[in-house]
Amino acid sequence: MSLFLPKLACKKDIDEVIKGVAEKVVVLRFGRDEDSVCLQLDEILSKTAHDLSNMASIYIVDVDKAPIYTRYFDISYIPSTVFFFNGQHMKVDYGSPDHTKFVGSFKTKQDFMDLIEVIYRGAMRGKMIVQSPIDPQNIPKYDLLYHGI
Amino acid sequence: MGAFYCAVCRQTSFSGKGHIFGKSHQSRLRVVLLKFLEKVKEARRTIKKPQVEKFDGPQHENKFWCYCCGLEIERNVTDGNMTVLHGGLLEHMATPEHKKNTHKFWWENKADPKLRDKVIITEEEIERFKDEVTKVLDTCVEKEDEFIKQQADHIRAQEKQRQEVLQSLIEVCFPRMQWQYPSLWPHYAVSKISRGSHFRPQDQQAGPSWVDPMVDVQWAGLGQALTFIGYQDSTNSGNVHTGAIPPWLQDDPLEGSSGAAAQPEIGPSLQDFLKQKEQEKLRKLPPNRVGANFDHSSHTDANWLPSFGRVWNSGRRWQSRHQFRQEEGQTNRHKRKREHGTDGSKKTKTE
Repeated sequence: MSLFLPKLACKKDIDEVIKGVAEKVVVLRFGRDEDSVCLQLDEILSKTAHDLSNMASIYIVDVDKAPIYTRYFDISYIPSTVFFFNGQHMKVDYGSPDHTKFVGSFKTKQDFMDLIEVIYRGAMRGKMIVQSPIDPQNIPKYDLLYHGI
Repeated sequence: MGAFYCAVCRQTSFSGKGHIFGKSHQSRLRVVLLKFLEKVKEARRTIKKPQVEKFDGPQHENKFWCYCCGLEIERNVTDGNMTVLHGGLLEHMATPEHKKNTHKFWWENKADPKLRDKVIITEEEIERFKDEVTKVLDTCVEKEDEFIKQQADHIRAQEKQRQEVLQSLIEVCFPRMQWQYPSLWPHYAVSKISRGSHFRPQDQQAGPSWVDPMVDVQWAGLGQALTFIGYQDSTNSGNVHTGAIPPWLQDDPLEGSSGAAAQPEIGPSLQDFLKQKEQEKLRKLPPNRVGANFDHSSHTDANWLPSFGRVWNSGRRWQSRHQFRQEEGQTNRHKRKREHGTDGSKKTKTE
């Protein structure tokens, strides 16, 4: 599953992708390939990648390979999915505590596709934060812990 | 009885000769005879005064149908130039065959016998007609000759006028010419005037118009005022007349390596064209989209970070980068300090 999605191994690659992809949503999945939830998410991502190819480009990032981004994006749970558009970070209100990324896996492929479409439309209209179309019951629950620095 | 075709009614009747006595036949016959007689009357009028006309052609090549003989006959007689109107008709009517046919037609169709004689023209009448015709023809020929003579006179008069105008022009120019080219002109002027005077008595003939020699020499004289730019030496490179290659087909000496470099291509290269296509697509997108003015090809250094609104930040997104860097810096310092501290303490302890 994750064999079909392009992998990014270092910060430079991630930078290139964020800066390079134009007029499309950049989907960065942070996680580990062996993790079970990551596998589920990867399957959904790879199966929808072709249908969403005009709207989004999907990439896989290993959290151990780019620690600086792991710290910068505050990734505490995996998998975490971060969305960019034209180099700008897109926030989505899922009804969960963290709007900056999507934590966990999607329940269905349709959920993911709807989310991508909403993000794309919002970006086209100039919105940097959008409302998630996914049913809150399907959003994975987690506790956001505050780490004192 | 058998079938009997009546030419007058243009019908086939099976009742034999009884058809002729019928009403329809007789009425048709009357109509036919009326029309026929009109034509004959007109022709008779011209017996005493034959009409001879000049023109020919479609007007005068009419034919008429003689009901008695069942033939189509020329109405007029022509020989190309002149036409005798109704000549053909009259001639035909005088023939003995026509007389016989007329009698037969009258007997068969039971027409009115009084009208029969009108259709036939006697020999005396035709003789008289012919005499008259010859007389009229002579007069016509005379008239034609006169007309031609008049035309000739008219043309001659026009020619004379033209010559006079030319002469007057030359006499005006002549003094000036004499002053410029005294050697050339006197000879020509004298010959011209003498010829002009010769011309006048010969009015009767229509002489050919000849080109004025003065006009010719005038053109040649003006040619001497051109600028001379030197003798063009083309022995090396060749000429149009020697059959050399024209300059526009020769290779340009200003070009680079001959043949190896391709001609400078006109228009954008393929890459530029593709870029232009992409730009066209971009223009269609809404201008207020996120990151519309983001420069995708800008070079950033290794520690560039995207603007990411972090989780525990409040405030603007771009500040989060700043804060992150600060935190990174603090953690590093903390780590170093701790190392330093332990080392230092170790040192002091050992010391």
